[in-house]
Amino acid sequence: MLKKFVLALALSTVSTMALAQEPKMGGTINAVIQPEPPGLMLALVQNGPTQMVSGNIYEGLLRYSKTLEPQPGLAESWTISPDAKTYTFKLKQGVTWHDGKPFTAADVLFSIETLKVTHARARNNLVQLDKVEAPDDYTVVFTLKQPFGPFIGIFEVGSMPIIPKHIYEGSDVKTNPANNTPIGTGPFMFKEWKKGSFIQLVKNPNYHVQGKPYIDGIYWQIIPDAAARSVAYETGKVDVLPGGSIENFDVPRVSKLPNTCVTGDGWEFFSPMAWMWLNNRTPVLANKKVRQAIMYAVDREFAKDVIWNGLGKVATGPSSSAIKFYTDNVPKYPYDPAKAKALLKEAGYKGEKIRLMPLPYGETWSRWGEAVKQNLVDVGMNIETIATDVPGSNQKNMEWDYDISFTYLYQYGDPALGVGRNYVTSAIQKGQLFNNLEGYSNPEVDKLFEEGAVATPDSKRKEIYEKVQKILVEDVPVAWQLELQFPTITNCKIKNLITTGIGVNDGFRDAWIDK
Amino acid sequence: MLSFVAQRIVKGVFVLLAIIVMNFFLIRLAPGDPAAVMAGEAGASDEQFVQQLREKFSLDKPLPEQLFIYVKGVVTLDLGFSFRQQMPVAKLIAERLPATLLLTLTAFGISLLLGITFGTLAARFAGTWADTAITVSALLFYATPIFWVALMSILLFSVYLGWLPSFGYETVGGNFTGWAHVKDVALHLVMPAMTIGLFFMATYTRMTRASMLEVKRLDFVKTARAKGLRDNIIQRRHVLRNALLPVVTLAGVHSGTLVGGAVLTETVFAWPGIGRLLYEALLQRDYNLLLGVFVVCSAMVLIFNLVTDLVYRLVDPRIEFAS
Amino acid sequence: MKKFWKLMLRNPGGVIGLVIITLAIFVALFGQMIFPTSPWRMVQRPFLPPFTNPMVTLGTDALGRDVFAGLIYGARVSLLVGLVSTTVALTIGVPLGAIAGYFGGKVDDALMRFTEFFQTIPSFPLAIVLVAILQPSIYSIVGSIAIVSWPPVARLVRGEVLSLRTREYVQAAIVTGQSNTWIISREILPNALSPVIVLASLMVANAILLESSLSFLGLGDPNLMSWGYMVGAGRTVIRQAWWITVFPGVAILISVLGMNLIGEGLNDALNPRLAKDSR
Repeated sequence: MLKKFVLALALSTVSTMALAQEPKMGGTINAVIQPEPPGLMLALVQNGPTQMVSGNIYEGLLRYSKTLEPQPGLAESWTISPDAKTYTFKLKQGVTWHDGKPFTAADVLFSIETLKVTHARARNNLVQLDKVEAPDDYTVVFTLKQPFGPFIGIFEVGSMPIIPKHIYEGSDVKTNPANNTPIGTGPFMFKEWKKGSFIQLVKNPNYHVQGKPYIDGIYWQIIPDAAARSVAYETGKVDVLPGGSIENFDVPRVSKLPNTCVTGDGWEFFSPMAWMWLNNRTPVLANKKVRQAIMYAVDREFAKDVIWNGLGKVATGPSSSAIKFYTDNVPKYPYDPAKAKALLKEAGYKGEKIRLMPLPYGETWSRWGEAVKQNLVDVGMNIETIATDVPGSNQKNMEWDYDISFTYLYQYGDPALGVGRNYVTSAIQKGQLFNNLEGYSNPEVDKLFEEGAVATPDSKRKEIYEKVQKILVEDVPVAWQLELQFPTITNCKIKNLITTGIGVNDGFRDAWIDK
Repeated sequence: MLSFVAQRIVKGVFVLLAIIVMNFFLIRLAPGDPAAVMAGEAGASDEQFVQQLREKFSLDKPLPEQLFIYVKGVVTLDLGFSFRQQMPVAKLIAERLPATLLLTLTAFGISLLLGITFGTLAARFAGTWADTAITVSALLFYATPIFWVALMSILLFSVYLGWLPSFGYETVGGNFTGWAHVKDVALHLVMPAMTIGLFFMATYTRMTRASMLEVKRLDFVKTARAKGLRDNIIQRRHVLRNALLPVVTLAGVHSGTLVGGAVLTETVFAWPGIGRLLYEALLQRDYNLLLGVFVVCSAMVLIFNLVTDLVYRLVDPRIEFAS
Repeated sequence: MKKFWKLMLRNPGGVIGLVIITLAIFVALFGQMIFPTSPWRMVQRPFLPPFTNPMVTLGTDALGRDVFAGLIYGARVSLLVGLVSTTVALTIGVPLGAIAGYFGGKVDDALMRFTEFFQTIPSFPLAIVLVAILQPSIYSIVGSIAIVSWPPVARLVRGEVLSLRTREYVQAAIVTGQSNTWIISREILPNALSPVIVLASLMVANAILLESSLSFLGLGDPNLMSWGYMVGAGRTVIRQAWWITVFPGVAILISVLGMNLIGEGLNDALNPRLAKDSR
């Protein structure tokens, strides 16, 4: 079977064309960034706030629509060979770095070599990569060892930021002073970072998409207290509150303020999913019946409605409904305390103490931990909450020193990228995060995930992933809670802020201010 | 006098050294290290990644060696490198220190001024309703959690009345210069400084009141009164001056607490000072930065104590008696 | 003793303080019997305003938990933190100060350097660091509050002991060959007690405030409902549900005020000369 995508050069895609209003030029957007990023060099630092700011400075080869279809970025078109092993990208011509130097295929090759060293996720994404070459200045060819279904999904700016070779070549990328004044190809350029106060970006006048960006600049304001952030919005000092910048409990009130627009869009690519790690090594939790009892005991609808204000969805299994090959044809776990009690009794649970570790990410997560604790206490479990801060919680998770531990992880659109890593035996590795922390091991699941990643065509992958979802949901290796949605709250004068499945993390190149 | 100062400085250096050593080990006892934090934030980690970070932070070296490297640096005024912020610690602190100094010194001034004024008034009218009113209202400020006052004043002055900006050091993007800039910063300063100032005001009010009453009882005041000096003059020249001594001592002791108050206030008001920097460094296990802030804060306390001691010597009552 | 109570009761502030704290202690001791529902239980719909449902008089919080139940249970935790941490601070500070003051010389010098050292490190940051290291729990909170609050005790006791040591009856005891421990514990400390009691009452108040500040930064014990926790948890929703923070906030304010009033009352009662002069 032959599959070929060729996308013609496009200035921008469907979403912007649908707009009746003509974009206006000028103006500055004030947005909140929380917490203050540790650095802005995206190839070195990959945390959320860094990408949110640097997604404006750097660019990837591709962008992804809200339905996760690839769109042109620094690459204007791409082809995939019939054997699904060779990906050829045609780069856009006439693109320059913020310092005026031209952007070429050499930068792409250099970036990939750098990322393999500095960017753990990129390294994982590139495991199937055999070689990457540049036959000419505007063509890049990736050759894979074997077909890898999710490969077309790894070129977004945070997953594979393209950095300038002429700045970093021959130096140690990690300590290069240029990291403090990042240079990219993106719609905005770094201007000033006043630590503890703000980060200022200004319009790139030579941006490679004609007429964009519309706005003159962005101030990212650093306000450490959540309540103070909502006041800043309320008093008109900031116009954009990206997802998670104010506490969930405050969202309904702020949403009702005059001239306020709220959207849950822009997280499709990440599809954040919250669950509780259940340490399968803890004697009590090693019993499948106890794990199932936990699923029945926790009132997830309550968590969604009360703690998340009705945003998001109750998770049905390991995959978020936004990513490929999701199925809801799996065993269901409605809120049923009686059944939970019965299962605990069957399992012979005698009140052994279980430690519960909430996520130290603010009030919402603390409340969630408290609610779940009460749910579990109600069915007769003996729960002790362990308080810790972020480093402590990371450490405890990495060292498997927990019984039940909250988390949420991104799934990056494809089960081979964001799901399998949490359940396969080969991912049980102490001292690391985001892998198989619960210690679940099932040879059948291992085999299915292995096949799913490299199977072609998609219909075959679908079959495999549906099967594995069913097995996992029956086994409950972890207790899935919610598919999260982080609402972006903006002043309604800001138009067209979110145009891709990567949302505010993809830069403000399409945004404009209505005056 | 000079030898007194020199002696104090030498002593201070030893105290600082002890603080460095203690905090160095203390901080490293906390669960989780910077590599764990950054691996967590990256949304991905593998062995290579965590290992790289540990090497970068010099966490793979034995502890005594790390300590030695650090102390060697401090001696040459090099506070090390914050790998998280990709900057020398000294530079980071230097960027933030002026904001904290401005905040704490203003707050200190407010609290002393109001505290001494109200304390004097209360002592003057001791036992009357005015005394009770002053004492109780001072106590109210003292008994209210500092972050609570902060939140309430934001609601009142920023949201409902719209008089004062709710966060930050200056208007971002305002680009004010000269007097406009001073006014802008002053407006941002009012709430945070008042929040800390009112809390400490209570202590000074009580101290001044108690100490004024104590001094009034002393013989020289009685003598002055017997000499027929006017009450106002007695108050100003004799009572207040002598009563202030314990207040000055207390102020010296308080300087450490003042910096502590700044942690909460700077967080609520997004004031870009070192109090907040300290708390953030702790949450990120940015060892060098955290240690650096501790060293600078402690040094500030030592300097402050030295200054109050000197002031004490200057207004020592014995000197007055001798003249 | 009778005279003390007479003086104490003459001070209206002290009486009010006594009443407040007695009431708070009563609630802390017996509240759980009168009010058996756990404050963590979600009993009603969230954000129920106060005085609308007789079952939950003071309304419910973000999860539908009873604010009144929280106040009752919180009394125990907050007072306990205040009292225990003060006791711990006293057990560190009193002996240190007494030894320094009694023996003087090199011992005094060394102990006072040690005390100064702890006073030089900014106390609240040190408390934060200690709680973060030990991980938040009632023990680490009490411990770190005690560690940052003992130095003033040591200094005060040292000063008192230093002056008492020269008194005739102490000198007499030394001459008659009584043991140092006996002299310190029987002759000196009882007479140095009154300023220490005054200071201790203020320390309890400070400890309650410190605990609430730690809770505000998310460094409270997650298994125990304290007033500080309630204020910290409710502050983000203060705009739509003032009652979640205001009631525990007022509870903190009143008990801190109560402890302070007691402190003043004690001060006046134990220093009769001063009290007489000022009235």
